[in-house]
Amino acid sequence: MEPIIQVNNVTKEFKVLNRSEGLKGSIKDLFSHDYKIVRAVDNVSMDIGQGEIVGYLGPNGAGKSTTIKMMTGVLKPTSGSIICNGVVPYDKRTLNAQNIGVVFGQRSQLWWALPAIESFNILKDIYLVEDKDYKDMLELYSTLVDMDSIMHKPVRQMSLGQRTLCDILASFLHNPPVVFLDEPTIGLDVAMKAKIRELVKMLNKEKNTTVILTTHDMGDVDALCERIVIIDKGKKIYDNDIEHLTGLFGAYRTLSVSLSKNKEILTKEELEQMETSVSNLLREQWPDVDMPVSIEDNEIQILVNEAFTGVVKVINAVQDKYKVYDMHITEISTESVIRKIYDGSKIVK
Amino acid sequence: MKCRKYLSMIKAGIMEDMQFRGAIIMTFFGNLLYLLLAFFLWKAIFESSDSPVINGMTFSDTIIYLVFAAALFNFMEMWTVWNMGRDIQDGKIVVDLLMPCGYRRLRLFRGLGEVIVNFFTTLLPTAIIVYFISGKAIHLGLNILWFLISVFFSFFINYYIEFIVGTIIMYTESIWGIDIMKEVVVGVLSGAMIPLAFFPEGFKQIALALPFHAIIDSPMTLLLHPEYGLTDVVNILAMQVLWFVVMGILSDVFFKFSLRRITVNGG
Ligand SMILES: Nc1ncnc2c1ncn2[C@@H]1O[C@H](COP(=O)(O)OP(=O)(O)O)[C@@H](O)[C@H]1O
Ligand SMILES: [Mg+2]
Repeated sequence: MEPIIQVNNVTKEFKVLNRSEGLKGSIKDLFSHDYKIVRAVDNVSMDIGQGEIVGYLGPNGAGKSTTIKMMTGVLKPTSGSIICNGVVPYDKRTLNAQNIGVVFGQRSQLWWALPAIESFNILKDIYLVEDKDYKDMLELYSTLVDMDSIMHKPVRQMSLGQRTLCDILASFLHNPPVVFLDEPTIGLDVAMKAKIRELVKMLNKEKNTTVILTTHDMGDVDALCERIVIIDKGKKIYDNDIEHLTGLFGAYRTLSVSLSKNKEILTKEELEQMETSVSNLLREQWPDVDMPVSIEDNEIQILVNEAFTGVVKVINAVQDKYKVYDMHITEISTESVIRKIYDGSKIVK
Repeated sequence: MKCRKYLSMIKAGIMEDMQFRGAIIMTFFGNLLYLLLAFFLWKAIFESSDSPVINGMTFSDTIIYLVFAAALFNFMEMWTVWNMGRDIQDGKIVVDLLMPCGYRRLRLFRGLGEVIVNFFTTLLPTAIIVYFISGKAIHLGLNILWFLISVFFSFFINYYIEFIVGTIIMYTESIWGIDIMKEVVVGVLSGAMIPLAFFPEGFKQIALALPFHAIIDSPMTLLLHPEYGLTDVVNILAMQVLWFVVMGILSDVFFKFSLRRITVNGG
């Protein structure tokens, strides 16, 4: 099947003025030609199929929004090319706009002074949506969220969460094949986040809409995305499903052991002593393997990469030397894996 | 049914404007205050003069002109510079650029609702009041038709000029100074604040060579001079059409050029 979005070797560079400091500096800047080139996106390629939900991740300033802006057509790549729905978005921006829905974080497309339902009616006309399709869509919406409680309130009186919800609904209103959501859950409470995830998931399922989602929240990713693409400093560093992510970057598990009958009464010194001796023990046993030891919740925590040492072996080694009163093993979360990737720590050797 | 798009935007503009009843009332009183000041200023000017006619205009001619010109000027106000400035500064323009409708058209139709409200709240009542208070000094005839045609072009010339000024904000990143400068330049050179007849000759020639006079001076001349022959009328309207075309092309090209600069370089 032909992908709905093709991004081919796209690079985007910004020319920015080198700013000087202070008042004198800012006056000097008025006449300055001292530019530097910032490469925001660096040779990124990906194909996205109809109906996929792709999580587009990366730390702040990685180039996520810049990529989305190029895919929607408000920025033109410095080199490389993009095709979205068979259209080159930055050459035919207005035409492409008919086939996409977009939510840019905190920037609303709703009419500020009017109730949300009025904005929906206007968008219906602007996107030339048929009466019947519009009615069906609103009906579908009302099965997903309590429309009556939000639709009749002026947008400027809404909470951030309600407005984001309305903006997401607005972006799906003309049933576009592709919807871009740039950090839709930023600043929202847990309940609203959950609601928005559910909404996006349902709309994707009902309408087979392709969704490209940028976020910092691993909860969003775990709830929605089968595929994730990670970029860092403009470069794509990962593009696959979540299961592979954990596989590729090591089968990490955390082993927590309690070395005292009553861990609550342990002093800081005692804990630190335990930490050092466990650490030494492990280094003696496995001199080539890096196994970070830390104190967490008055227990000793050991991060084990199962690619090199089995957790059971580690437990045995510890038990040989200490009396273990309690222990538990936890899978490392997607969040920690991704944080490790951002931090640039080389987990894979 | 493409006009559905635009009708809907106009309707929204009207609804949105109605939300700000306070602003409508404030505009009304602000305008009243301005006219009172103008009244006393011009009264003083005429009293200090030896002749009751200055530059071919009597005191009552001048006041009728000023009241009407102010109403016309307010009628066309749809805050284009201000709105564009805000869109550009907070980056909301990105959202507008992703509407399936060109930005210049989007701003125009979103603003038209307000202009329609302005018509009923300022221009029409002012026209009726001036007509009766002045003892029916305004001739009712073909001049009204010429006036209305002229106002159509005035409106677009004004909009295109505002759009050009709004585009300049992409470079300067300051709204305030630019907007005030525009208000003063357009207010004076269009003839909205002082009739062009009162300008010194050289200055008047400059004003007539610029597009701004086509916004207020042209329609007012057509309205208040029913004695003008068809050649005069056609001359004035032709000049307006010329500026309408020139400013239309200029605003479009300048915006597209500036936008390309931003989409390519990142502003
Ligand atoms: N219009 C612009 N002009 C100059 N630099 C920009 C512009 N937009 C983004 N950048 C720079 O490009 C990089 C990527 O930004 P962005 O795509 O917004 O990152 P993200 O959305 O991943 O946080 C950053 O270093 C940012 O400062
Ligand atoms: Mg961003």
